[in-house]
Formats: sequence, structure tokens, C-alpha cells
Amino acid sequence: MTMTPVNLSSTVADDEPPVSLWRDAWHRLLRNKLAVAGLAVVILLAFVAVFGPWLTPYDFLTQDLSARNQAPSLAHLFGTDDLGRDVFSRVVYGTRTAFVVAIVVTAIAVVIGVTLGAMAGFFGGMFDRVVMWFTDMTMSVPNLLLVVVINASLKTPITAWMEARYQATLNPFYRETIWVDFLLVFGSMALISWPPYARLVRAQVLSIRGRPYVTAARALGLTNRLILMRYIVPNAIGPLIVSVSAGLGTAMVLESAFSFLGVGVNPPTPSWGNMISDGLRVWQHYPHLLAAPAAVLGLATVAFSFLGDGLNDALNPRGSK
Amino acid sequence: MTAPADNKPLLDVRGLTIEIDTRRGPAVIVDGINLTVGKGETLGVVGESGCGKSLTMLSLVRLLPNKIRVKGGTAEFAGRDLLKMSKSELRQVRGGKIGFVFQDPMTSLNPVMRIGDQLCEPLIYHRKMNKADARVRAIELLRLVGIPGPEQRIEAYPHELSGGMRQRVMIAIGLACDPELLIADEPTTALDVTIQAQIVDLVKDLRKKLNMSVVWITHDLALIAGLVDRVAVLYAGTVVEDAPVNELFARPTHPYTRGLLASIPKLSDERASRLSSIGGTPPEPGRRPKGCPFAPRCGLAESVCHERVPVLEPVAGSGGHRVACFVAQRQMMEAA
Amino acid sequence: MAAEPLIKVENLVKHFVVRLGAFGERGATVYAVDDVSFDIFAGETLSLVGESGCGKSTTGFTLLNLQKATSGKVIFQGENIVSLDEKRMRPYRRELQIVFQDPYSTLNPRMTIGEVVGEPILFHKLATKAELPECVSRLLADVGLPARFAQRYPHELSGGQRQRVAIARALACQPKFIVCDEAISALDVSVQAQIINLLLDLQEKYGLTYLFIAHDLAVVRHISTRVGVMYLGRMAELATREQLFSNPLHPYTRALLSAVPEADPELEKTRQRQILTGDVPSPLAPPAGCRFHTRCPIAMDKCKAVVPEWREVVPGHHVSCHAVGMETAG
Ligand SMILES: Nc1ncnc2c1ncn2[C@@H]1O[C@H](COP(=O)(O)OP(=O)(O)OP(=O)(O)O)[C@@H](O)[C@H]1O
Ligand SMILES: Nc1ncnc2c1ncn2[C@@H]1O[C@H](COP(=O)(O)OP(=O)(O)OP(=O)(O)O)[C@@H](O)[C@H]1O
Ligand code: SF4
Ligand SMILES: [Mg+2]
Ligand SMILES: [Mg+2]
Repeated sequence: MTMTPVNLSSTVADDEPPVSLWRDAWHRLLRNKLAVAGLAVVILLAFVAVFGPWLTPYDFLTQDLSARNQAPSLAHLFGTDDLGRDVFSRVVYGTRTAFVVAIVVTAIAVVIGVTLGAMAGFFGGMFDRVVMWFTDMTMSVPNLLLVVVINASLKTPITAWMEARYQATLNPFYRETIWVDFLLVFGSMALISWPPYARLVRAQVLSIRGRPYVTAARALGLTNRLILMRYIVPNAIGPLIVSVSAGLGTAMVLESAFSFLGVGVNPPTPSWGNMISDGLRVWQHYPHLLAAPAAVLGLATVAFSFLGDGLNDALNPRGSK
Repeated sequence: MTAPADNKPLLDVRGLTIEIDTRRGPAVIVDGINLTVGKGETLGVVGESGCGKSLTMLSLVRLLPNKIRVKGGTAEFAGRDLLKMSKSELRQVRGGKIGFVFQDPMTSLNPVMRIGDQLCEPLIYHRKMNKADARVRAIELLRLVGIPGPEQRIEAYPHELSGGMRQRVMIAIGLACDPELLIADEPTTALDVTIQAQIVDLVKDLRKKLNMSVVWITHDLALIAGLVDRVAVLYAGTVVEDAPVNELFARPTHPYTRGLLASIPKLSDERASRLSSIGGTPPEPGRRPKGCPFAPRCGLAESVCHERVPVLEPVAGSGGHRVACFVAQRQMMEAA
Repeated sequence: MAAEPLIKVENLVKHFVVRLGAFGERGATVYAVDDVSFDIFAGETLSLVGESGCGKSTTGFTLLNLQKATSGKVIFQGENIVSLDEKRMRPYRRELQIVFQDPYSTLNPRMTIGEVVGEPILFHKLATKAELPECVSRLLADVGLPARFAQRYPHELSGGQRQRVAIARALACQPKFIVCDEAISALDVSVQAQIINLLLDLQEKYGLTYLFIAHDLAVVRHISTRVGVMYLGRMAELATREQLFSNPLHPYTRALLSAVPEADPELEKTRQRQILTGDVPSPLAPPAGCRFHTRCPIAMDKCKAVVPEWREVVPGHHVSCHAVGMETAG
């Protein structure tokens, strides 16, 4: 029987550009209603954090002692607090605090965690053992205790030093104790937040390092650096994104918990945490002082966790329904 | 168990059409496939790599990947349409009444779970066995598929097994719950002839014992010669020939089938002589020719082949042999 | 045949230590490859056949130093490559390629087919960036895939298409030697024929050498110069294609050859298959003496105790079986 071979090796001209995996994941994310809701809330809060202070009717510091502890009204959407400050404005400004804290803390924690975790996983050996010992140590000490200790031992000396500098130079910069707050809060929170990232990344790298496609890359003669950058990191990044999303929400809760213990961002800078802790003292009389910041904090964490779950499903390229 | 009426096939796929989303809109991958498998019958499915065999079978258990979906058709299993079943009903069928052997063992097995646990899962879920019984059965299954030292191997992780062992674990999982229908997607590609023979004997045995029906996707024509009752030849998402196995080998009718049979290396071949193969490549989804999908590669094609799509029709002078080809139809008619 | 082999395998051993028990409390050793020696000559196709799990893939892996050999030597260009660490091994990698048995898992899910095939070309500077698309489409066309597939991801291909991508990736390195581990097993016969023709063409043109691991004996017979038969981690028989198929000496080889199915239902029904009885031993606890003795139809007492020697009975025909010498001598 004869078969005339017809060469169909098609034209290279292509009308079908590749759909990148990230794009694909984005489409899958958009199909998940909860994740979209979470994303919307996160975007809204981020917008408020950036532009909020210009949009609020009052300054968050302006006291109006004639209008203390007012219930919510049209003039004051969330009412006023015991110094007559507008709670809505303070919640709005607190959003900025929350985002700054969450983003900076998570960024520091991720940089430390990913670097240490990836190296520990890839190189193993002594380095791995030391890193793991540090993560275990950090994770075994109760978080809040650690932070309280750091704060108590460092805060007074630093403030004292800044006061001394102010006396010597009269530079108003040293009066801004808010920087000390931020430094200590960020530093100590990052310190307790990096170990989970390190563990996650290390586990990812360890499991990916043994995958057949990494063996295949070795068989091609590729260098370690290329294998790490093109094979391991892109495949490890999905779970990291998921955990960063959830981590942002967690950082906000953490900040509130610290404020409640009096080691967070200090008044008068508004943060949801210190508003909640102030509100807790008087919630029987003025429930709105507790309800407003607590509700927004709750909303933010739920939004981040929905978004994280959605990302988790979306980033799985082969996922089927 | 709802026993179907005696003359009704166990699996009856009609007009199954599968579509994929591409940048240029939806494209048809599987185009109106009809397949029937009677109770206790074994159907072999052969076809060119990429012609849609796996997707057809995956669609039956509703495991199609993203962006690919069933566009139309029905797939009745024991009188119930698999494509319209509720999720919970489907879960009962999947892995229970229908056993499935996936094509890619390494990616279908969970890499961080011992194979014993993966074998026990369907037994515990579908058969409501307790852990200890499931384990005993799992060891027995591994022994049946010829894995030596099953008591120890049950604790192995997938990467610790050889390619053929992983494949046999997949077969064991497919057979775990004594399914009414076994769908096996190229289950023996990594197995040597002796083990292959053992697996074939095992399946034949179960077929007799349980009156199990089997759909066996393969490209190993020699293997199915001794195993299946009927063969469906797929090309570019359509069935181009469907015949009892003896009939197919004795009188291959469709030009694609003939080309396929001509490509088999014979044990008597000289080394380095070139094997005959079918020139060209099959059409891609979304770029199907207007007429017969095989026409651009076909040595027999006439003008009608490029114009109209041939349908599957009985071949003159033989029972149960159907072919979708204008020219072959005419030739057989003349011969008869 | 050229006197100097391209690759010399000497007493290669690979044992795996595995953990057993629910908590991995017990250790056990898998004797995957045990004391295997053979030569691979430049320009030949040496096929490796044997029961599933007998150590063919492991031989391929350790040969290329992708798994550390437990002991033994593999000499390539005067260097014992299995003793090299990853860094010193790297210069040899381009020339020694492998097509893996399980193609899907060896493709990076986040790289398109074009990137998969193009990466080694760029990395080894076998073409410039500008020539790359052309190179990639030619390689894809060689394995029967349309150029458009360069844009796809591995999960968007069928099983056989993935396997062809893996072949194209190995060929992209322009190697001297390729281990083809069941490289054509997922292809239908027509595409299989196309790939076999391609491999033979390349061999003719560039003098490529193949270690061809396969189970389809018709294909093996078609493509090989010599054939090695493995059983449970040991080499049982090694001979030229003609010798092995016309005069198989080892009882296992004979059983294997009798099990080949025919693509003809009538012949299939009448074919006499020699069925091996007895327990299939586990590589976790291989039998003493000849590893085949538990299933061998002609086993003697000696077989249970003494490991048969690996000897050359006829020039070019190696076998390890006690009975063989007696047969030919007597
Ligand atoms: N997720 C996907 N996206 C795009 N195309 C796909 C996808 N999955 C499969 N395809 C295409 O659909 C066609 C049919 O694939 P399928 O896996 O059913 O083939 P097959 O007949 O099983 O082939 P093989 O014998 O090679 O396994 C192929 O051409 C393949 O390229
Ligand atoms: N990473 C590993 N850890 C433990 N055991 C292993 C590992 N890799 C392979 N083995 C064992 O080594 C033996 C030989 O495996 P190998 O993959 O070489 O077999 P094979 O001859 O290629 O078989 P097949 O034809 O089924 O692919 C098997 O018993 C297998 O279980
Ligand atoms: S050595 Fe003995 S047991 Fe082994 S194959 Fe030869 S005869 Fe059989
Ligand atoms: Mg398939
Ligand atoms: Mg193997």
C-alpha cells in the first residue's frame, strides 16, 4: 500500500501566543467568588491606607473636648472617643498603620525566611542544621513573651538616648518617638515571623530538589544557579505567595495583640490595635469604640485569608474541578 | 447494583464531543465519538498519539483538565448518564464501579504517600473495609500484578519503585474494588513481555470471574490481538474503524489502520531497514480539514474526501465491521 | 567492531537503602544493580532488556552519574565518571544524554516546550538567540510535532507528545551517547517507526551511540547491534543481535523470547508460551547463587549456592549460567 507522505510541518507564523501560567492562574482566581471578594476588600483597604488621610473629614489628632464619647452620627460616622477625636478618621489612619506594619514586617520576614530557607534546603549539611536550630528556637519561645522582653529591655534605653540627643542638638527629629515605636514593633515582629517562611521554603526546596525534572536539568549539565533560578524557585513560589497573603493578615492581628499588651504602636498614632485596647476598657458604656476598629480588623484578616485560599487553588496549574 | 437489561451495553457513549478553549475560541478535540462496551466485553482502543484517547476516557469519569470540557453527547453507564450524574453519585462510581488506570503513573501517584496507603484508600472508601483488611487485600493485589516481595513493597514510596512497578501499582489501584468496568490507559507501556502476559492473564481471569468489562487503550497491537474482543481505531478525535479483533487484523480497511499495521516492526525484520510510517502529522484541534480528517495524509484520498466527512458505516460482507472512509467502503463493496 | 569502547562499565554496583515499617524504623537494602560489566562501542546500539524492576533504569542512571554508584567504574574518555562530583561531571553532560522513562515528571511544569527544548541549545551555545526558534522548530519537526507546540506547556500535551518532547530535548544537546529509557514506549506504532527511523538516521550521520532500554523485543531486534539481558540486578546474557535471537543461551532469555506476543489473533491463540513458574524473588532479598534459580526450569544444586561466572562462551557472546558450559561442552 502506498502512502504519499505530505509534509504538514506547519507554518511557524503563529496566531496563538502562549497563555502564561500566571495569566492562567489569574483567570482561575477571578472565577473564585470568595477570593474575588477578599481581593476587593484588600484593594479597598489599601486605597484607604494610601489616600485615606486626605479623604477623612477630621484630623485624627484633633481633639474636641466638647464632643467626647459621642455615639455614631452623620457628623461622626463611628462616633468620637474619650478625647473627642473622630473615630472614623482614626480607623482610616489606623489602616495606614496596619498596612505599613504588615507590609514592612512581612517583607523583612520573607527576605530573611526565603534566603535562609532556600539555602538551607539547597545546600543542606551544617548550614541547614544551624538555620533549623534557630527556627526551632524562635518558634518554641512564646511569641508575645519574646516581644515583651525585647521591648522592655530596649525601649527605655533607646528613648532615653533620643531624648539626650534632642537636648544636645535640638533637632526635632529626635522628638519623634513614633520612629522608635515602629522600629521596635517592626523589628520584634519580623523576628518572630520569619521562621514559618524559612520552614516553608526549605521544605519546598527539599521536595523540588528531588523531583525528576531537576534530575533532568542536571542531566543537561545546567549549573546550580540556573537550576535554582529556573527550576526550583518558580515551582516553590506558589505556596510562598499563598502564605504571604495569609501572613499579611496575621501581621495585622499580631500588631493589635502587641498594642493590647502595650508594646505596639503607641498612642497618639492610631492603630487598630491600640484603639481596640482602649475600647476594651470602656466597651460596656461606649461599645462603638471597640466595635469599629475590631470590625475593620476582622474584615481585613478574613479578606486576606480568602485571598490566600483562592491563590492556593489558582496557582495549581493542573488543578481540575 | 442496577443490572442493565441483558442486551443493553454496560457503557454506551454517544456523540461525545469535547472542546478546548484556545485563544481563537473553542476548538473541537473529540468529535462525536460513539463507543459501546457490552457486559464482559473487552474493547481495545488504538490511535495515533494525541488523537484524544486519554481525554475521551477522562471525560467519562469527569476528570478533564482545565479549559477542556464536554460539549455534547451522552455516556450511559449501566443506564445512568455519567456526564450528568451528581457529584456524590460520581464519587461512588469513580474508583468503585469504574476502575481507572491513568497513563502517567508518576504524576498520578501521590509522591509523599506510601503506595500501600494509596492502595488502601479506595478499599476503605468504597468497600468500607477496616485498615487491617484493606492492608491484607492491598498486599494480595500487589502480588496479583506480580510485584515481588509485596509485604515490604507496600511500604515503598512511588519514587522507590521502577517505572514498571509504578505502572503495576496503578493497575492494582484500578482493580482494587472489583470494578464492573476497567478503563486502562496504556497500562503496560513499561512492562516486559513476561509481566505483560501476566497482567493480560489477570485481566482475562477477572473478566471471566467478575464478568468485568474492559476498555484498554494501547498502541501495542500485538498485545491486544490476544486480549480484546473488539477494536476501535481513533483518528483525530473520531472513530474511523470499529471491528471484531480477528476481522480487523484479517481485513484492515481504513487507510490509517492499514498504515498502522504496516508500521509494526516484525521480529524477522532486518536491522536498520527503514520502517514504514505514515507521513505527515495529524490535524490539530481547531485546524481540522473540512472533509475527512485523514485526507491530507491519505494515499487513497479523492476529491470527495476533501469535501465531506465520512461517517462510520458497516463494511459490506462482514458482521460488525464498520469503517468511516469513502474509498475503502467502495473498495470493499466491489470486493464483496 | 572497534577495539576501543566508547564507554567501559566495570563491576558497576548500585544498592539503595530503604526504610520500612510504619515509621521507617527498619532498614533494608535493594540490590538494584549488582556487579555489572559491559562495554559500549562507538556507533552501536546496545539494547538492555529484562523483567520490570530488574535494574535497567538504575543502570542507565548510575552510568551517567545521575545516581551515585555504590561501587564500580564507568570509563568515558579515560576518566572514571562515576567518581566525579557534580561540578567535574558537568563538562561531560552535554555529550552523554538520557531520555527518561517517565517523560511528564521530567519536564518543568513552568516552562513551555520551546523553552524546554531551547534551553540546552542556548546553554551549551549550540546556536545563537536569533537561530533558536528555527532550531527548536526543526527539532520538534524531527520528532513529528508541529512548531506551534513550542508555545505549549507540558500539561497541555498527550502522553506520546510529551515523550517526543523529551527525545527532542536530548537531541538538542547534540550528544555522542544517549540512554533511551523506554523512550518510545508511549508512542503508537506509526510514530514509533518515525522515531526509530530518526534515531537510525542520526546514528548513520553522526555516529551516535545508544543504550536502548526497551521491552518490545521486535523493536529491540530491529534497532540493536547487541542486546544485553538483565535479570534481578545482574547481567544474564550479552550477545550480538543475531546470536541472541537465533541462539539464546540463558534459560531466562529463552523464556523471554517465547513470551513475545504476535500482532495476529490467530497466531496468538496457538502460540506456545513458556511460562515461568515459581516465586519472583524480590531485589530486597535476592536468592543466593544464581538469581534465576527459583524459576529456572533446568536449575541444578550448584545453581543454589554458587554465583555463575560471567563468561564469554563464543566470541562476543557472554552469559552467566552454570548449565550453558555443560550443554555446549557435552
Ligand atoms: N490541557 C490541554 N491543553 C491543550 N491541549 C491539550 C490539553 N490536553 C491535551 N491536549 C491535546 O489534546 C489532544 C488529545 O490528547 P490526549 O491526551 O487525549 O491524546 P492521546 O490520544 O491519549 O495520546 P497519547 O497516545 O499520546 O497519550 C492532543 O493533541 C493534546 O495535545
Ligand atoms: N530511589 C530508589 N530507592 C529505592 N529503591 C529504588 C530506587 N530506585 C529504584 N529502586 C529499586 O531498584 C530496582 C530496579 O529499579 P529500576 O528502575 O532500575 O528497574 P527497571 O529495570 O528500570 O524496571 P522497569 O522496566 O519497570 O522500569 C527496583 O526494585 C526498584 O524498586
Ligand atoms: S545458573 Fe542454573 S539456575 Fe541459573 S539460569 Fe543457569 S541453570 Fe538456571
Ligand atoms: Mg494518552
Ligand atoms: Mg525503568
